[in-house]
Amino acid sequence: MSKQPVLEVKNLKQHFTSGYGKNKTVVKAVDDVSFKIYKGETFGLVGESGCGKTTTGRTIIRLYEPTGGEVYFNGKLISGKLTKEEKREVTRGIQMIFQDPIASLNPRMTVKEIIGEGLKINKLCDNEKHMMELIYNMLETVGLTKEHANRYPHEFSGGQRQRIGIARALITNPDLVIADEPISALDVSIQAQVLNLLNKLKEQLGLTVLFIAHDLSVVKYFSDHIGVMYNGRLLEIAESDELYNYPIHPYTKSLLSAIPLPDPNYERHRKRIYYDPSIHNYEKEKPELIEIRPRHFIYASKSEVNEYKKNL
Amino acid sequence: MKNKEKVLQVKDLYITFNTFSGKVHAVRGVNFDLHKGETLAIVGESGSGKSVTNKTIMGILAKNANIENGQILYNGKDLTKFTDKQFTKIRGSEISMIFQDPMSSLDPVMKIGKQITEAMLVKDNISKDDAKKKAIKLMGAVGIPEPEKRFNQYPFQFSGGMRQRIVIAIALACDPDILICDEPTTALDVTIQAQILDLIKEIQEERNISVIFITHDLGVVANVADRVAVMYAGKIVETGTVDEIFYEPKHPYTWSLLASMPDLDTDASDELLVIPGTPPNMIYPPKGDAFAPRNRYAMKIDFEKEPPMFKVSDTHYAATWLLHPDAPEVEMPEALKKRIQNQKERQVVDHE
Amino acid sequence: MDNLKDMKLSKEDFEFVQLDHDIKDEKFQGEAIGFFKDAMLRFKKNKASAIAAWFIVIIIFMAIFGPSMNKYTYREQHIEWALLPPRVKGLEKIGIFDGTKVMTVRKENLEGKYKDSVVKILEEKEEEYNGVKVPMVKAKINMYKLKGADDVYFWLGTDSIGRDMWTRLWRGSRVSLMIGILAVLINMIIGVVYGSISGYYGGWVDMIMQRIIEIIGGIPSLVLIILFVMYLGSGIVPFILAMIMTGWIGMSRMIRAQFYKYKGQEYVLASRTMGAKDRTLIFRHILPNAIGPIITQATLAVPGAIFTESFLSYLGLGIGAPEPSIGVLLAEGQKMLLDHPHLTLFPAIVISILMLSFNLFGNGLRDAFDPTLRGQE
Repeated sequence: MSKQPVLEVKNLKQHFTSGYGKNKTVVKAVDDVSFKIYKGETFGLVGESGCGKTTTGRTIIRLYEPTGGEVYFNGKLISGKLTKEEKREVTRGIQMIFQDPIASLNPRMTVKEIIGEGLKINKLCDNEKHMMELIYNMLETVGLTKEHANRYPHEFSGGQRQRIGIARALITNPDLVIADEPISALDVSIQAQVLNLLNKLKEQLGLTVLFIAHDLSVVKYFSDHIGVMYNGRLLEIAESDELYNYPIHPYTKSLLSAIPLPDPNYERHRKRIYYDPSIHNYEKEKPELIEIRPRHFIYASKSEVNEYKKNL
Repeated sequence: MKNKEKVLQVKDLYITFNTFSGKVHAVRGVNFDLHKGETLAIVGESGSGKSVTNKTIMGILAKNANIENGQILYNGKDLTKFTDKQFTKIRGSEISMIFQDPMSSLDPVMKIGKQITEAMLVKDNISKDDAKKKAIKLMGAVGIPEPEKRFNQYPFQFSGGMRQRIVIAIALACDPDILICDEPTTALDVTIQAQILDLIKEIQEERNISVIFITHDLGVVANVADRVAVMYAGKIVETGTVDEIFYEPKHPYTWSLLASMPDLDTDASDELLVIPGTPPNMIYPPKGDAFAPRNRYAMKIDFEKEPPMFKVSDTHYAATWLLHPDAPEVEMPEALKKRIQNQKERQVVDHE
Repeated sequence: MDNLKDMKLSKEDFEFVQLDHDIKDEKFQGEAIGFFKDAMLRFKKNKASAIAAWFIVIIIFMAIFGPSMNKYTYREQHIEWALLPPRVKGLEKIGIFDGTKVMTVRKENLEGKYKDSVVKILEEKEEEYNGVKVPMVKAKINMYKLKGADDVYFWLGTDSIGRDMWTRLWRGSRVSLMIGILAVLINMIIGVVYGSISGYYGGWVDMIMQRIIEIIGGIPSLVLIILFVMYLGSGIVPFILAMIMTGWIGMSRMIRAQFYKYKGQEYVLASRTMGAKDRTLIFRHILPNAIGPIITQATLAVPGAIFTESFLSYLGLGIGAPEPSIGVLLAEGQKMLLDHPHLTLFPAIVISILMLSFNLFGNGLRDAFDPTLRGQE
């Protein structure tokens, strides 16, 4: 593990305002989020719908400009105004895999055009032949064949389309891959295929991944570290096994207890834990991200942390 | 569950659809029974025919559907022969259905109170006031806070989970005997899902309703089901009690389903059983076992003849040639064995 | 289900087929087809639209070559041969298009004026004129013989100053089609450019551009056209200018809506994250996908434009004499509708076929381009 993280997010804020004057409403989609990802690691960002995880991913890759906070990529600040060179670094170095296999591929382009676009824009190839070579290699890596290169997206199944999306993301050899719910829109038997492929590629290519999903079982399986998001905030960050074995924040506990396991006997004796956000009182004490166990952070006020420590 | 009365019997159901590109064989000979007070889970991916089967029970198949063969016996009558008028009588008051998307299940411009009482007023001979009282009581039972106030609100004023509760209330308004749930929690967050599942179980116990629960999520099945039927490509490939299916599965498709998605117990180093390939095109139903092209344990005969249902126990049947006495001994894959082993160990730990 | 015992099963049946192989995806059938080829295939399947397309082709063909098919020009006048009904060489033997007309004349003139030209006497009756009963005869009269044009054939007859209707009809169609198609084409170009910029950039740019549209759109288009024509005189160019004044607004609104719809699509976002410039995103990603409804809208706008032109010509505001257009012909014919229906009948048929065909064609295009249908067949 090198000392400098590939990605560092500091106090990231993304607020969406609408309306004017009295009717102004601010949606704090991302509200003070901080985390680090080191080379070769997979960081899973998990949370339910509306928690801000997709917005976080898109802000990191510069689809939105953050309302506050900073994003550092390989030590360099990427969240403000950038020169053309710096922009090129980002567009080559960070890639995204999208959720919807149908909407994420341009129906008018062939597979090879879709995959090759990243190479073209970032001028990573000297000639046509070199580019085709890279494209064919990538197609095989994701389990497709050369003959698929001239086809159009609508001729492929959902799982295959998602693989094309993965090929597109990986061809520029990015330092960071952001996978935004890559398997949620797929059929169950296909989800396993794509998940396995991602796992294999992660090992093979030594990828650094930010994995965004709402399924905690999948995130736990795939990631080294997990960050639990709720209402735009990161409530708990820990290594996967640590989070599963020692969940501390009440929301994390309720999330874990809500997930049904394919074990009928266990389910029969299950006791659900419900989370009530009003149990926190942050009027006097402001909460922060505090390290409560080694590499296990929790978003809480000091007195809450003391409470939690007692119960460990 | 033994010798419980059968409320619904589906026999040899065969349904096709006329489409632009040909006839789609959506359901190819489905048999199952529903007993009183039990929850039967039907598991399958898209294209397996699970939704079509249940729409046939409710009589809401599309116009281009044909019931080629089969019977659905309910209360001594055959639902496949019912006219729309006859269906109108039993829908809601005897068999009710709730759907996946709470957004589109509710009329956005009608107050929810009206939507709940609508069926009541049409079917039963009760006054508007009585209907309202009943509806408010029902809203309370499904967990909607301040029901008197919310009776006059519109669907957009409720969250997704709340809307699904309203949908359940509407389905129960006329006290049906059978409730069919078509993926009711797939579109909901996992914490809301847990609440809705608990609600359905609670209601089932209170009212002794029989439930058919359609889903593709095995965790949910383990949570709600008494019995399970696994469907693939228009047929039921395995059926049994929930314990039998999860702890002693016999069909390779069931094996793959159980071990293909990680659950909270899975270690990062555990292998996932992947089902290669894609589900078949049902315009040209395959010869033999439909799962054969994707089945690692496929034998020659799987490509020739469809396997019949082999009996594993009185309650457990699987349609796979692997259960034929002449077939080679095949144990379930290591990955799955390990999982079940872990689960059994946990049981032991809990009991201590 | 067969009885298990009846099936003859051997040990071999139970051998594994693919225990250790890697199961691959199914192979692809057929050739790769691009979007437009795919759309054309779908279009051809739609019978009504295909037939409509043929009709349009036929009319365009006639509009180009029709006027030169006979020796008359569109402005040649033969006053002595005015208002002749249609007469076609081959068909006159059958009894249609034979240059005859049913007229009610004084019986006394039968021997005189109408001697050679009477073909058939249909009815005899009496009518009163100024208190005097005059015997009248309803007879079929060969107008060509009557006017001394025995060897002359006007396929669709002549108008009030003896101009050949066939030539005028097809020349008129040519003019109408030209105005219609040109106007729509120009509207489309202006609309697409304006709408793309407005829709793609959004924000302030969009707001200002839309307000401008609302101001321009607030002017009643008919008044605008009338003013234009009055100021610049009649003729094809001023006419087209008038029609493009506000005609592009509808198109631009539609393209703008399409842009809003498509710019949030994930493949656009994907390209943006790869560093694609705005130009690439607009022309490579959004426009090709948005163009379907535009083409359909344009096709459906052509008959509308032709109709507007006809309607204005009918009101007397169209292109000047002697240049015909369908509207001009309809206007002239209307004055003598009861006596000489052939003057109105043929232009009416042509414009009806045009309108219907363009509509069906446009509908067919829309169904062919609709991406939601794609992949389901």
